[in-house]
Amino acid sequence: MNIDLADFTIKYLEKKGASYAEARLEHHNSNSFVLKNGNVEVSGFGTASGLGIRFLIKNTLGFATVNKLDKEEIKKTIDNSLKLTKRAVKLTEKTTFSVEKPIKIDYKVKQKIKLDSQDQSEKLKLILDIDKKLKQLSGRYFSYSDTLSNKYFTNTEGTSINFEIPRVNFFYFLTIRENNRSIQRYLNYGQSSGLECHKTWQLEKNILEEVKALKINLNKGISPPKGKIDIVAAPEVTGIAVHESGGHPYEADRIFGREAAQAGESFINQDMIGKKIGSDVVTVVDDPTVENSYGFYLYDDEGVKAKRKFLMKNGKINEFLHNRSSSIQMHLNSNGSARANNFNVEPIIRMSNTFMLPGTMKEQELIEDIRLGVYIKNFMEWNIDDVRMNQKYVGNEAYLIKNGKIEQPVKSPVIEITTPGLYSSVDAVANNLKYFAGNCGKGEPMQGIPVFMGGPSIRLRGVKLG
Amino acid sequence: MNLINYIKNQLIKKGADDVIVYQSNHDSTQVKFVNNKIAKTETHLTSDISIFTAKSKHLISTNLKDPNKKSADEKIKNIFKFLKHTQPNKDYEGIAKGPFKYKEIPETYDKNILDMNEIDYVEKGINSALKNAKRCSGVLEKEIGSNQLVSSNGIEAEDKSTALYYSIRAFTTKEASGHMTACSRTLNKFEVSPAAKFAGEIAKKSQKPKQGKSGKYTVIFDHLPAAVLLNYTMDAASIFSVESHLSFLINKLNKKIGNFTLIDQGNLPNGLNSLKFDAEGVPTQKNIIVDKGILKTYLHNTSSAKRHKTKTTANAGIISPQSWNILLEGNQGNVFDIKKGLYITNIWYTRFQNYAEGNFSTIPRDGIFEIENGEIKQPVKNIRITESMLDILKNIQIISKETHQVKSWEASTTTITPKLLVKEVRITKPTV
Repeated sequence: MNIDLADFTIKYLEKKGASYAEARLEHHNSNSFVLKNGNVEVSGFGTASGLGIRFLIKNTLGFATVNKLDKEEIKKTIDNSLKLTKRAVKLTEKTTFSVEKPIKIDYKVKQKIKLDSQDQSEKLKLILDIDKKLKQLSGRYFSYSDTLSNKYFTNTEGTSINFEIPRVNFFYFLTIRENNRSIQRYLNYGQSSGLECHKTWQLEKNILEEVKALKINLNKGISPPKGKIDIVAAPEVTGIAVHESGGHPYEADRIFGREAAQAGESFINQDMIGKKIGSDVVTVVDDPTVENSYGFYLYDDEGVKAKRKFLMKNGKINEFLHNRSSSIQMHLNSNGSARANNFNVEPIIRMSNTFMLPGTMKEQELIEDIRLGVYIKNFMEWNIDDVRMNQKYVGNEAYLIKNGKIEQPVKSPVIEITTPGLYSSVDAVANNLKYFAGNCGKGEPMQGIPVFMGGPSIRLRGVKLG
Repeated sequence: MNLINYIKNQLIKKGADDVIVYQSNHDSTQVKFVNNKIAKTETHLTSDISIFTAKSKHLISTNLKDPNKKSADEKIKNIFKFLKHTQPNKDYEGIAKGPFKYKEIPETYDKNILDMNEIDYVEKGINSALKNAKRCSGVLEKEIGSNQLVSSNGIEAEDKSTALYYSIRAFTTKEASGHMTACSRTLNKFEVSPAAKFAGEIAKKSQKPKQGKSGKYTVIFDHLPAAVLLNYTMDAASIFSVESHLSFLINKLNKKIGNFTLIDQGNLPNGLNSLKFDAEGVPTQKNIIVDKGILKTYLHNTSSAKRHKTKTTANAGIISPQSWNILLEGNQGNVFDIKKGLYITNIWYTRFQNYAEGNFSTIPRDGIFEIENGEIKQPVKNIRITESMLDILKNIQIISKETHQVKSWEASTTTITPKLLVKEVRITKPTV
């Protein structure tokens, strides 16, 4: 990467009268393939690079991007952007940034097995071998990609950060059809690392086990019990719930209405810090510093140091996710939550790795004292309203719990619940913290950003299934 | 076209069977407004060259970062190196054979857009919304682009485009809001005020909503939610979705799925997604996907069409055929002519439990109203539609005469949609 272009950019903007300027130069090298029903649809490789530029002129925020990386194109882009931004001054919402310590650092995520140490045929073989063992399924769809990304961030306050991160992503979508009925399952695997991720993922073992369980569910599953029951949600279900209703509503840009037009707002407002909306055993954090996590970073896309944030502490609303412009509105410093998924989109407030902290009980202990309940291992359908209050999770692999024991499979149990209803009903949290990878969508234009969602198994008392 | 022709010729010379090189250049801007003020401007200069190569059914997709001959030569060398490590696509049947003649699509390029003042339009929209609402947020986007395509089968195609997109969401209170979008390819057909006025009026009417009740309802879907439902239907009509079991239209070919006609049209005048040619260079056309309720065809490219013994519908995507602009025709009437029901002005977060069976749920947002004797009455909140897409399609009773061109987060394919009247829609609500 020619980092001189980024340095040139901020100097040019200073010369043009910007009170603040930053440049984010990015370069991504990727490999990918798509497999459908045993057939390799297409393989791909590519490079993408470009420059994302942000600046303030008369307290009006301008953002510009260019992917032809030469000085003339950069100057042309900036000049066009300045023209538009100056015209916007008359209607501007004045933007200011919190004062943050300048950072100078180079860092990278180490790869034990480098992404380029295997050619495409070796990567393909791993997935083709799994596909062969699933040939009896009517629908098999797999996609794989790995990307090595380099970022250089610099601003007019003296910050310069060099960052290298490898990411591997694997996605599968399976359809099991038997006796004119079907059940489907998809899951995303993602990690910031080299190809050593495959050792921890154990794709073949996990997928084959899942398929076996779902076949039994399809053929022998019973309807879920009616009335108030207890629910044990396994880590995958805890993870999605925490992401949707324990993470999103804490994004300060939602709280201040900046994403109101599309991603929505939040049921939480500034005055609700300290308000109890969950039980004492519920603590939710967002932590970008988890090693090899899919949402890993040590400095955000505004150059602010990342840290663990306690969003909900013992059931109380505790802290919001901030960038430099939201934090100053609350007279705080940024907690390093600004992210952009590529050079061509602006950094906005995002989650990284959001999870409920584990407790000390074993999962089995959560189940043992349930008279009638449902254990939900994973899910398919889910959604939540745009203030993050009314949510739904529909179990896929799920079982009846009777007198403390897991019994026969249950078909599609539905948790349809409010956010305080959900977190207040949690009475126990197990010690089996697990993370699941996802791409979280937000912003206009939409940007999908890599995240972990996770937690331990949790027990919900006295909930009526939908 | 010099560089993309050079890439194509070099790849053929070195032994490729099929080659498509596609260059696009786009200049775009966005003005984002939040709480009645401008929060940010965006300006983008983007130039991309994508390269598709097939050799002995090994398919490679890549891009060229630096548009010069030296980079192109290096890329070509790497394509052949990479090819050796891939597997053949046994289903691949080649790309379209040209040359083709292309007709100009009316109202897809307007040089007046280049000089428009976006800020004035944003201000006008805010003022319209604030006649009824207290605050509003949204975006105004402008794009000027050009696309060029060459293929090894004698195709050379080019098109230029302009596009405008506007989205506004207005609020009176935190739980009373309205949303509408507007889009156009020409400046003289681009109006922000009607969308802003609608958003403001719905925001005013939807104040003090009560908790909605679960049950089966006759539902009027306004343009935004109708577009989302039609987008998911058209996604399900792509042969790629069908073959991947991501479609509730599997095994429905030549079967009745409703009482409407669903059209995809890539050459629609003023259609936001209209383009002269698809990703193989085939001239775009009007396709009747569902004719008076009967599913007549899936969306195809050349390869999938050969495999299914039919003709391409000019919807390539090399791998996954995609729709261009969606239109719906059917039983026209007054959708508000009902005794009792719900009026839903927007939905979001549509997710499927089973794509092949079409079981899904989606969340109404912005104004939701009870309807009594054709009139908008009490606003409601906090409900969910839990349904089967096949049942929704089967139960479309009446569509409105007036249509609106919609693009949104969940309706990424432009949809020129009427309002829909759908009977027997299942509504659920949280249990705790």
